Amino acid sequence: MGLKFNSRDPVYVQVVQHFKERIAKGELEPGGEVPSRRELANKLKINPNTAQRAYREMEEEGLIFTEGNLPSRVTKDEQILRALREELIMEATSAFITSMRSIKVPLDEMLENVKENYEKTSNNEGKGEND
Amino acid sequence: MKKLRIMRGREKMIEVKNITKNYGRKKVLKGVSFTANKGEITCLIGINGVGKTTIMNAIMNLTPIKSGEILIDGKKVDKASYEKITFIPDEITMLQQMRIEEAMEFMKDFYTSWNQKRADEMLHFFRLEKTDRISELSKGNRAKANLLLGLALDVDYVLMDEPFSGIDIFSREQIAEVFTSHLIEERGVIITTHEIHDIEHLIDKAVLLDQGVILKEFDAEEVREKEGKSIVDVMREVYRA
Repeated sequence: MGLKFNSRDPVYVQVVQHFKERIAKGELEPGGEVPSRRELANKLKINPNTAQRAYREMEEEGLIFTEGNLPSRVTKDEQILRALREELIMEATSAFITSMRSIKVPLDEMLENVKENYEKTSNNEGKGEND
Repeated sequence: MKKLRIMRGREKMIEVKNITKNYGRKKVLKGVSFTANKGEITCLIGINGVGKTTIMNAIMNLTPIKSGEILIDGKKVDKASYEKITFIPDEITMLQQMRIEEAMEFMKDFYTSWNQKRADEMLHFFRLEKTDRISELSKGNRAKANLLLGLALDVDYVLMDEPFSGIDIFSREQIAEVFTSHLIEERGVIITTHEIHDIEHLIDKAVLLDQGVILKEFDAEEVREKEGKSIVDVMREVYRA
């Protein structure tokens, strides 16, 4: 359940990223409730101020919304959800390309490898939860 | 009227202003200044013997300072302050033959701010037995009992001296968990340590101390965000300069 944080990125940014991934994966559904600030702090073992800040950030980005005194919920705005998915795809793709380029793998070989391994790894899906 | 007071009211914090202290000829604090806000965890970092505990003692008015000033919410420390701020020393100060329940009783008699409900909650959280004698507790459990006695006070500020030192990793993890909970929420916490690792992700502000002077005071998230540096990166820069 605990999240591993790196020590050089702001913790709140890492928390936001964690939420983005969970939303993209469908673990957090559109319109679904998110834990309270206090629950989140406890669960992720972070400072409650950091939890607060992460939520503020997500609220500003439109990822979650709060009505009155009710618990915050994940956005139902499809445009935002689509943009979020695209953002994560872009991030992962460019990281992948960067490391492939650094060892001088040509496009063909890169794509071939993707195709070959995509099927294989899909069997192990869900085992290596975010780390 | 009310509005005016809010506007004029200073923020809630502990202000340490240019304090100095000597032990005999040795200057242990040479003009130390920093602030610790209510609702935040401020960490005083430095190797042993640089004056961390002396600063804590000075804030609590347990040791006289030579010059400078310490304010809590804009006021000097007096007798009434001890219902507002508490100090958890690095070793439990209760009599060794006492059982935990007797130590709690003692605190209750001594402080009106004692909160038994919270104490019970922490007993459960730390999995301590109240009938255990302090002298028979493991080192980790002594540290937890010590923390319990301080944190069960309904005070605005909590000072903790080296709560992680010399105890096993699981006790350290459990103690670190306190910093993610309502047990410290809304309060101002000052914690000293020579080993930041256990709480690097948990603190709001770091104050780096060396030989009686503050070398740097910074917001942990801000340094990560603006400079891409971890607390340890900053420490390396500052202490190796």
